[in-house]
Amino acid sequence: MAAVIDVFVRNYPYVYAVLLFAIGVYTLLSNPNLIKKVIGLNIASTAVFLFYIAMGNVRGRLEPLVDPAHPHAEFVNPIPTALILTGIVVSISVTAFALSLVLKLFRHYGMLNAEEMVRLRGTIDEDH
Amino acid sequence: MDDDIILNEVATRVVPMICLFGVYIIFNGHLSPGGGFAGGTVIGVAMVLFSLVFGLRATFAMVPENLLILLTSLGPLWYAVTGLVGVFRGVGFLANANAGINLGAPGSLFSAGLIPVITFGVGISVAITVTILFVILVEAD
Repeated sequence: MAAVIDVFVRNYPYVYAVLLFAIGVYTLLSNPNLIKKVIGLNIASTAVFLFYIAMGNVRGRLEPLVDPAHPHAEFVNPIPTALILTGIVVSISVTAFALSLVLKLFRHYGMLNAEEMVRLRGTIDEDH
Repeated sequence: MDDDIILNEVATRVVPMICLFGVYIIFNGHLSPGGGFAGGTVIGVAMVLFSLVFGLRATFAMVPENLLILLTSLGPLWYAVTGLVGVFRGVGFLANANAGINLGAPGSLFSAGLIPVITFGVGISVAITVTILFVILVEAD
Protein backbone atom coordinates (compact mmCIF):
# COMPACT_ATOMS: atom_id res chain seq x y z
CA MET A 1 0.00 0.00 0.00
CA ALA A 2 2.78 2.40 0.95
CA ALA A 3 4.57 1.57 -2.31
CA VAL A 4 1.45 2.42 -4.33
CA ILE A 5 1.04 5.73 -2.50
CA ASP A 6 4.72 6.45 -3.05
CA VAL A 7 4.33 5.93 -6.82
CA PHE A 8 1.42 8.38 -6.91
CA VAL A 9 3.24 10.97 -4.78
CA ARG A 10 6.38 10.83 -6.90
CA ASN A 11 4.42 11.07 -10.15
CA TYR A 12 1.98 13.74 -8.99
CA PRO A 13 1.89 15.63 -12.37
CA TYR A 14 0.24 12.58 -13.95
CA VAL A 15 -2.46 12.54 -11.27
CA TYR A 16 -3.14 16.22 -11.84
CA ALA A 17 -3.21 15.65 -15.62
CA VAL A 18 -5.83 12.90 -15.26
CA LEU A 19 -7.88 15.11 -12.89
CA LEU A 20 -7.70 18.07 -15.30
CA PHE A 21 -8.69 15.88 -18.23
CA ALA A 22 -11.67 14.54 -16.28
CA ILE A 23 -12.75 18.10 -15.38
CA GLY A 24 -12.44 19.18 -19.02
CA VAL A 25 -14.36 16.25 -20.47
CA TYR A 26 -17.06 16.55 -17.79
CA THR A 27 -17.52 20.25 -18.64
CA LEU A 28 -17.56 19.45 -22.35
CA LEU A 29 -20.25 16.77 -22.01
CA SER A 30 -22.46 18.04 -19.18
CA ASN A 31 -22.71 21.78 -19.82
CA PRO A 32 -25.28 22.90 -22.40
CA ASN A 33 -23.63 26.33 -22.85
CA LEU A 34 -21.52 26.30 -26.03
CA ILE A 35 -18.89 28.76 -24.73
CA LYS A 36 -18.41 26.57 -21.64
CA LYS A 37 -18.07 23.54 -23.92
CA VAL A 38 -15.18 25.35 -25.67
CA ILE A 39 -13.63 26.12 -22.27
CA GLY A 40 -13.94 22.43 -21.31
CA LEU A 41 -12.22 21.38 -24.54
CA ASN A 42 -9.36 23.77 -23.71
CA ILE A 43 -9.01 22.40 -20.17
CA ALA A 44 -8.87 18.83 -21.53
CA SER A 45 -6.18 19.71 -24.07
CA THR A 46 -4.20 21.53 -21.35
CA ALA A 47 -4.25 18.27 -19.37
CA VAL A 48 -2.67 16.47 -22.34
CA PHE A 49 0.03 19.15 -22.58
CA LEU A 50 0.78 18.81 -18.85
CA PHE A 51 1.04 15.02 -19.22
CA TYR A 52 3.51 15.28 -22.10
CA ILE A 53 5.64 18.01 -20.52
CA ALA A 54 5.81 16.09 -17.22
CA MET A 55 6.86 12.99 -19.15
CA GLY A 56 9.69 14.84 -20.92
CA ASN A 57 10.98 16.47 -17.77
CA VAL A 58 14.03 15.09 -15.93
CA ARG A 59 14.59 16.40 -12.42
CA GLY A 60 17.74 18.45 -11.96
CA ARG A 61 18.35 19.15 -15.63
CA LEU A 62 18.15 22.49 -17.43
CA GLU A 63 15.91 23.58 -20.27
CA PRO A 64 17.48 22.89 -23.70
CA LEU A 65 18.93 26.35 -24.38
CA VAL A 66 22.50 27.21 -25.30
CA ASP A 67 23.77 29.11 -22.28
CA PRO A 68 27.36 30.47 -22.34
CA ALA A 69 27.42 30.35 -18.52
CA HIS A 70 26.86 26.55 -18.44
CA PRO A 71 28.64 25.07 -21.47
CA HIS A 72 28.52 21.47 -20.18
CA ALA A 73 25.06 21.44 -18.55
CA GLU A 74 22.77 18.43 -19.05
CA PHE A 75 19.49 19.16 -20.80
CA VAL A 76 16.04 17.61 -20.74
CA ASN A 77 14.75 16.02 -23.92
CA PRO A 78 13.47 18.88 -26.10
CA ILE A 79 11.26 16.71 -28.33
CA PRO A 80 8.15 16.57 -26.03
CA THR A 81 8.37 20.35 -25.55
CA ALA A 82 8.57 20.96 -29.29
CA LEU A 83 5.68 18.55 -29.92
CA ILE A 84 3.56 20.32 -27.33
CA LEU A 85 4.36 23.71 -28.86
CA THR A 86 2.73 22.40 -32.04
CA GLY A 87 -0.11 20.98 -29.96
CA ILE A 88 -0.77 24.35 -28.30
CA VAL A 89 -0.97 26.10 -31.66
CA VAL A 90 -3.35 23.42 -32.99
CA SER A 91 -5.48 23.73 -29.84
CA ILE A 92 -5.70 27.51 -30.23
CA SER A 93 -6.60 27.18 -33.91
CA VAL A 94 -9.35 24.71 -32.99
CA THR A 95 -10.58 27.20 -30.37
CA ALA A 96 -10.68 30.01 -32.94
CA PHE A 97 -12.60 27.75 -35.34
CA ALA A 98 -15.04 26.64 -32.61
CA LEU A 99 -15.60 30.24 -31.49
CA SER A 100 -16.43 31.31 -35.03
CA LEU A 101 -18.99 28.47 -35.28
CA VAL A 102 -20.45 29.45 -31.89
CA LEU A 103 -20.75 33.06 -33.07
CA LYS A 104 -22.62 31.95 -36.21
CA LEU A 105 -24.94 29.73 -34.14
CA PHE A 106 -25.58 32.60 -31.72
CA ARG A 107 -26.49 34.91 -34.61
CA HIS A 108 -28.84 32.29 -36.04
CA TYR A 109 -30.59 31.12 -32.85
CA GLY A 110 -30.04 34.09 -30.51
CA MET A 111 -28.81 31.85 -27.66
CA LEU A 112 -25.92 29.63 -26.62
CA ASN A 113 -27.81 26.68 -25.12
CA ALA A 114 -27.11 23.55 -27.20
CA GLU A 115 -30.02 21.53 -25.79
CA GLU A 116 -32.50 24.34 -26.54
CA MET A 117 -31.10 24.52 -30.08
CA VAL A 118 -31.68 20.81 -30.61
CA ARG A 119 -35.24 21.12 -29.25
CA LEU A 120 -35.91 24.15 -31.46
CA ARG A 121 -34.58 22.32 -34.50
CA GLY A 122 -36.84 19.37 -33.71
CA THR A 123 -39.97 21.53 -33.62
CA ILE A 124 -38.99 23.29 -36.85
CA ASP A 125 -38.54 19.93 -38.60
CA GLU A 126 -41.97 18.78 -37.36
CA ASP A 127 -43.63 21.90 -38.76
CA HIS A 128 -42.29 21.36 -42.26
CA MET B 1 -22.11 43.02 -28.19
CA ASP B 2 -21.29 46.70 -28.72
CA ASP B 3 -22.66 48.19 -25.51
CA ASP B 4 -20.92 46.05 -22.88
CA ILE B 5 -18.77 48.66 -21.11
CA ILE B 6 -16.65 46.21 -19.07
CA LEU B 7 -15.85 44.08 -22.11
CA ASN B 8 -14.97 47.15 -24.20
CA GLU B 9 -12.75 48.79 -21.58
CA VAL B 10 -10.89 45.58 -20.66
CA ALA B 11 -10.35 44.63 -24.31
CA THR B 12 -9.04 48.12 -25.21
CA ARG B 13 -6.36 47.77 -22.54
CA VAL B 14 -5.54 44.08 -22.91
CA VAL B 15 -5.33 43.66 -26.72
CA PRO B 16 -2.26 45.95 -27.24
CA MET B 17 -0.44 44.22 -24.36
CA ILE B 18 -1.12 40.76 -25.84
CA CYS B 19 0.19 41.98 -29.22
CA LEU B 20 3.32 43.44 -27.57
CA PHE B 21 3.92 40.16 -25.71
CA GLY B 22 3.61 38.26 -28.99
CA VAL B 23 6.19 40.52 -30.65
CA TYR B 24 8.48 40.00 -27.64
CA ILE B 25 8.17 36.21 -27.96
CA ILE B 26 8.87 36.36 -31.71
CA PHE B 27 11.99 38.50 -31.38
CA ASN B 28 13.37 36.43 -28.48
CA GLY B 29 12.71 33.15 -30.27
CA HIS B 30 16.39 32.32 -30.71
CA LEU B 31 17.25 33.13 -27.07
CA SER B 32 14.42 31.77 -24.94
CA PRO B 33 11.50 29.33 -25.22
CA GLY B 34 9.07 30.51 -27.85
CA GLY B 35 9.66 31.76 -31.36
CA GLY B 36 7.61 32.47 -34.42
CA PHE B 37 5.07 29.73 -33.86
CA ALA B 38 4.23 30.65 -30.25
CA GLY B 39 4.47 34.43 -30.71
CA GLY B 40 2.41 34.37 -33.89
CA THR B 41 -0.29 32.41 -32.08
CA VAL B 42 -0.36 34.99 -29.28
CA ILE B 43 -0.82 37.83 -31.81
CA GLY B 44 -3.50 35.82 -33.64
CA VAL B 45 -5.39 35.27 -30.39
CA ALA B 46 -5.27 39.03 -29.74
CA MET B 47 -6.84 39.57 -33.18
CA VAL B 48 -9.55 37.00 -32.43
CA LEU B 49 -10.30 38.75 -29.12
CA PHE B 50 -10.45 42.11 -30.91
CA SER B 51 -12.92 40.89 -33.54
CA LEU B 52 -15.03 39.10 -30.89
CA VAL B 53 -15.37 42.28 -28.83
CA PHE B 54 -15.47 45.06 -31.45
CA GLY B 55 -17.05 43.19 -34.34
CA LEU B 56 -15.90 42.30 -37.83
CA ARG B 57 -16.30 45.80 -39.28
CA ALA B 58 -13.74 47.28 -36.88
CA THR B 59 -11.35 44.40 -37.59
CA PHE B 60 -11.54 44.90 -41.34
CA ALA B 61 -11.10 48.66 -40.85
CA MET B 62 -7.83 47.90 -39.05
CA VAL B 63 -6.61 45.00 -41.26
CA PRO B 64 -8.36 44.94 -44.67
CA GLU B 65 -9.24 41.54 -46.06
CA ASN B 66 -6.89 41.91 -49.05
CA LEU B 67 -4.02 42.72 -46.70
CA LEU B 68 -4.80 39.57 -44.67
CA ILE B 69 -4.67 37.40 -47.80
CA LEU B 70 -1.47 39.15 -48.96
CA LEU B 71 0.22 38.58 -45.58
CA THR B 72 -0.74 34.88 -45.52
CA SER B 73 1.24 34.45 -48.71
CA LEU B 74 4.04 36.73 -47.52
CA GLY B 75 4.97 34.45 -44.59
CA PRO B 76 5.92 31.34 -46.63
CA LEU B 77 7.51 33.57 -49.29
CA TRP B 78 9.66 35.22 -46.62
CA TYR B 79 10.70 31.76 -45.38
CA ALA B 80 11.57 30.55 -48.89
CA VAL B 81 13.57 33.68 -49.77
CA THR B 82 15.53 33.45 -46.50
CA GLY B 83 16.23 29.79 -47.21
CA LEU B 84 17.43 30.58 -50.73
CA VAL B 85 20.19 32.83 -49.35
CA GLY B 86 22.14 29.66 -48.58
CA VAL B 87 21.49 28.28 -52.07
CA PHE B 88 22.83 31.44 -53.73
CA ARG B 89 25.92 31.32 -51.53
CA GLY B 90 26.58 27.83 -52.91
CA VAL B 91 25.76 25.87 -49.73
CA GLY B 92 22.35 24.30 -49.01
CA PHE B 93 18.79 25.43 -48.48
CA LEU B 94 18.41 27.24 -45.12
CA ALA B 95 22.17 27.26 -44.53
CA ASN B 96 23.17 29.70 -41.80
CA ALA B 97 26.76 29.66 -40.56
CA ASN B 98 27.94 27.68 -43.60
CA ALA B 99 26.68 30.48 -45.86
CA GLY B 100 29.18 32.85 -44.26
CA ILE B 101 26.69 34.79 -42.13
CA ASN B 102 28.07 36.35 -38.95
CA LEU B 103 26.41 34.58 -36.00
CA GLY B 104 27.26 37.23 -33.41
CA ALA B 105 27.70 36.67 -29.68
CA PRO B 106 25.46 33.90 -28.30
CA GLY B 107 22.83 35.29 -25.94
CA SER B 108 22.57 38.77 -27.48
CA LEU B 109 19.41 39.93 -29.24
CA PHE B 110 21.03 40.37 -32.67
CA SER B 111 22.70 37.00 -33.04
CA ALA B 112 22.17 33.54 -34.58
CA GLY B 113 22.31 34.85 -38.15
CA LEU B 114 19.20 34.04 -40.17
CA ILE B 115 17.18 32.38 -37.37
CA PRO B 116 15.46 35.62 -36.13
CA VAL B 117 14.72 36.58 -39.75
CA ILE B 118 13.01 33.24 -40.41
CA THR B 119 11.23 33.40 -37.05
CA PHE B 120 9.74 36.75 -38.08
CA GLY B 121 8.31 35.18 -41.26
CA VAL B 122 6.87 32.25 -39.31
CA GLY B 123 5.35 34.68 -36.81
CA ILE B 124 3.56 36.68 -39.54
CA SER B 125 2.30 33.50 -41.17
CA VAL B 126 0.90 31.91 -38.00
CA ALA B 127 -0.65 35.15 -36.68
CA ILE B 128 -2.50 35.84 -39.92
CA THR B 129 -3.58 32.18 -40.30
CA VAL B 130 -5.19 32.11 -36.84
CA THR B 131 -6.87 35.45 -37.57
CA ILE B 132 -8.14 34.31 -40.98
CA LEU B 133 -9.45 31.02 -39.56
CA PHE B 134 -11.75 33.03 -37.32
CA VAL B 135 -12.54 36.12 -39.40
CA ILE B 136 -13.26 34.53 -42.78
CA LEU B 137 -15.48 31.83 -41.25
CA VAL B 138 -17.54 34.35 -39.29
CA GLU B 139 -17.85 36.60 -42.30
CA ALA B 140 -18.97 33.87 -44.76
CA ASP B 141 -22.70 33.19 -44.95
